[in-house]
Amino acid sequence: MGVTGLLLCGFLVAHLAGNLLLFMGAKPFNEYAHALHSQWELLAVAEFGLVVLFLAHVYLAVATTIGNYRARRDFYVLKQSKVPGRIIGANSWMFASGSVVLGFVILHLIDLRLGLRSSLQYLPETDLEAPFKNTLAAISDPISRVVYFVGVIVLGVHLSHGFASAFQSLGLNHPKYTPLIKIIGKIFGVIIAVGFASIVVFVPGMWR
Amino acid sequence: MNHAASKNLNLTLKIWRQAGPKQSGGLKTYQVSGISTDMSFLEMLDVLNEQLIASGEEPVAFDHDCREGICGTCGVVINGQAHGPDSGTTTCQLHMRRFHDGDTIVIEPWLAKAFPIVRDLIVDRSAFDRIIQAGGFVSVNTGNAPEANTTLVPHHVQQDAMNAAACIGCGACVASCKNASAMLFVSAKVSHLASLPQGQAERSKRVLNMVATMDAEHFGNCTNTGECEAACPAKIKLTNIAQLNREYMKAALLSKE
Ligand code: SF4
Ligand code: FES
Repeated sequence: MGVTGLLLCGFLVAHLAGNLLLFMGAKPFNEYAHALHSQWELLAVAEFGLVVLFLAHVYLAVATTIGNYRARRDFYVLKQSKVPGRIIGANSWMFASGSVVLGFVILHLIDLRLGLRSSLQYLPETDLEAPFKNTLAAISDPISRVVYFVGVIVLGVHLSHGFASAFQSLGLNHPKYTPLIKIIGKIFGVIIAVGFASIVVFVPGMWR
Repeated sequence: MNHAASKNLNLTLKIWRQAGPKQSGGLKTYQVSGISTDMSFLEMLDVLNEQLIASGEEPVAFDHDCREGICGTCGVVINGQAHGPDSGTTTCQLHMRRFHDGDTIVIEPWLAKAFPIVRDLIVDRSAFDRIIQAGGFVSVNTGNAPEANTTLVPHHVQQDAMNAAACIGCGACVASCKNASAMLFVSAKVSHLASLPQGQAERSKRVLNMVATMDAEHFGNCTNTGECEAACPAKIKLTNIAQLNREYMKAALLSKE
């Protein structure tokens, strides 16, 4: 769970960096996309690896959640946290937040990897303008725009627990570094959420 | 503590009553009055039980032994919190001065698949004993005591081992965890012996066997929520769970056992 999660974090960084080029306009983004696609052998390997990682992460999440639910079995009539100041934390909602993110990722793949939304007018892949125009079309679509926005915000919440939690699961707890890792995890969640959300919020209005 | 300030409380108790492991249970409401704020929580339950016996009702079954926070038998969930509202405190060490006149207190047993209810507030925690048994022995030479300076244990290592050894096996970690995970308990036991020279000979075998037994007893998986650490009366730290994960990975990947 921790290993797959951290590796997926690596993908998020690369994906965000690439997509922020949308703020620079059509030309830089299209050039970036074509440069990426020209390395198609590498891309195929990376895509395959990503799918495996993602499915492994989802599988482990489902398996642990079912196991944990069975182990808990009975729930208290009244339950309160003893962690000072905690009312409700991201840590209790990892499965729920993960499910929301999964839903978002599925729509995102339908929109932009598979090109299956009939309501969007896709340019053919051969068109040099396709990467930018198709992305813009998807994030301008009201349904996608809302789902993407919610998806990336919830993803940020997911990361705010998941990032630091992965280190603990891997046994990487150290009095000097753990407080720092926890802070970095929260900041990372905010950067990913705000970074991707800013794209769906601002980019459609910028390049009409 | 100013004893002149002791007061008497009137309380409403909602207590889980269950006649046996297979019967279904439910919360039952009782009134107690004149509870001194100087009483411990268990003494308050004693008062209730005397009242119940006098009226011909079955007393509430609850576990307890030392009543001084060392045996680990007395845990119950009080208003949704394992061992009640104080941190680093067992139920027997919780005092009624933490409550106010007119309060309603909900008292439930530990709940987890691995801790089946025996009766009322008593649960069967023998799954913990089986984990300990799976841990086995430590090999110690007999004969004369060795020269003290041949095996040096630095002070901070000895402190870590002692802090982990403070676990009283009460089960509050399991009870408070949404996953009913026993990782804090097992990690305390594993860290304690892994830190000391005496624990080295069986170090890998111990962690592998204890984790296997923990899983076989149907405890859940740790998702790092930290509820156990906050509920633990012995203040066992989450760093022990990280150490358990390290010990386990090292043994699973590298040991021949
Ligand atoms: S780790 Fe703490 S809460 Fe868990 S059994 Fe030991 S003393 Fe009790
Ligand atoms: S009765 Fe022994 S710890 Fe509470």
